[in-house]
Amino acid sequence: MLEALRKKIQEIMPQVDGVIALRRVGKGTAPHLFLPGDDLSELALSPQFPLPTPVRIIQAKYPDKRFAVVVRGCDERQLVEMAKRRQIFLDKLTMIGVACTKEQAEYCRCEMPFPKQVDIGETVEGIPQTFLDDFLAKPREERLAFWKHAFAKCIKCYGCRNICPECFCKECVLEDNLWVTSGTVPPPFPMFHLIRAMHTVGKCVACGECERTCPADIPLTILYKLLKRDVETVFHYYAGADPNEPPLMDSTIFLADMDMLHPPRR
Amino acid sequence: MSSPESNVQQPPYEPKIIGFLCNWCSYAGADLAGTSRLSYPPNIRIVRVQCSGRVSPELVLKAFHEGADGVIVLGCHIGDCHYIDGNHRTSKRIPMLRQLLAYAGIEPDRLRLEWVSAAEGERFATIVKEFTETVRELGPIKRVMVTG
Ligand code: SF4
Ligand code: SF4
Ligand code: FES
Repeated sequence: MLEALRKKIQEIMPQVDGVIALRRVGKGTAPHLFLPGDDLSELALSPQFPLPTPVRIIQAKYPDKRFAVVVRGCDERQLVEMAKRRQIFLDKLTMIGVACTKEQAEYCRCEMPFPKQVDIGETVEGIPQTFLDDFLAKPREERLAFWKHAFAKCIKCYGCRNICPECFCKECVLEDNLWVTSGTVPPPFPMFHLIRAMHTVGKCVACGECERTCPADIPLTILYKLLKRDVETVFHYYAGADPNEPPLMDSTIFLADMDMLHPPRR
Repeated sequence: MSSPESNVQQPPYEPKIIGFLCNWCSYAGADLAGTSRLSYPPNIRIVRVQCSGRVSPELVLKAFHEGADGVIVLGCHIGDCHYIDGNHRTSKRIPMLRQLLAYAGIEPDRLRLEWVSAAEGERFATIVKEFTETVRELGPIKRVMVTG
């Protein structure tokens, strides 16, 4: 796969000013802007790291340049949601689509481990999200106890927010003492975590980066994925699917009948 | 409901309800209920907002966090919002927040969204009555979260 990617990058390089991809650094990887003529021997694919934020930063600095970026399914969908909010510019971006391997998809519990256009790799099927239903099978009191226990481990490092490509606000409510009392760890339940969960609605593509980043191993994506599923089934809004569609909140979609959403009753 | 384990006379549980009412329809509806001398429970404390679309999830969660046992959001009917589509946002945001509360293990019925026009004083009184009873049954918010 890596060899195929290297070839593809060499092929695309003459048409762009640089390619945003991963580069091997020690045992890990880091985002890197490969320029024409650069040595591609340190190009890497895993361990994966989300590239949309580097795209945003690089495009902001060089608005007139044209870049290519290596995207997995999640990266592509994130870029689309960011473009809708004018955080990145798709017309100045060429995407090199990579389909994730079965192992990677399983590791991420990914529902859609491929971008729209696949240039590298073989498309594998998504992982069924049965763990969400298993979670909902717990009665309410158990869910409450589950989250109280999980969130009590939070050290408020802001890692989940910092890694999230969809968290790009210049001022974050999670840093505002009005909403999240500063100076206390763990942050009082449920302000910090439920505010963050609500702010992912219509933007979260379920890449799982927040959860992988969390040093306390809090299974954040259970909440985010449940919300995402509601947004899809009730509002028919698929985060990252269509750059020409307005963001969920800006759209004139509304809930005609309030009984269309059924919160679990037990 | 007084707590059985204490001998000290506890005042019976009276739900505290925060109502976010939009200025243009629902607040006027509440006003009409008042001027028509309709009675409704005094448990609701009304916060007038410019539009129901102003009611961010933070506001609702903060109300719970500060000890509200229930939160009700009232706005203009769809199509009547003074800001055209402010309540379209509300109609997505509040139901989604109800889902989130339920997923997190907090009773979703502590949060309610309704549309009340300036002419619906009676509807306002009925909804507040109903909601107060729902929240009374659910009991104090302290059962699910530490407040204050
Ligand atoms: S899974 Fe987490 S990091 Fe990824 S988009 Fe959703 S909230 Fe952001
Ligand atoms: S990454 Fe985990 S520990 Fe850090 S703030 Fe987020 S939930 Fe809390
Ligand atoms: S002004 Fe009443 S809901 Fe917007």
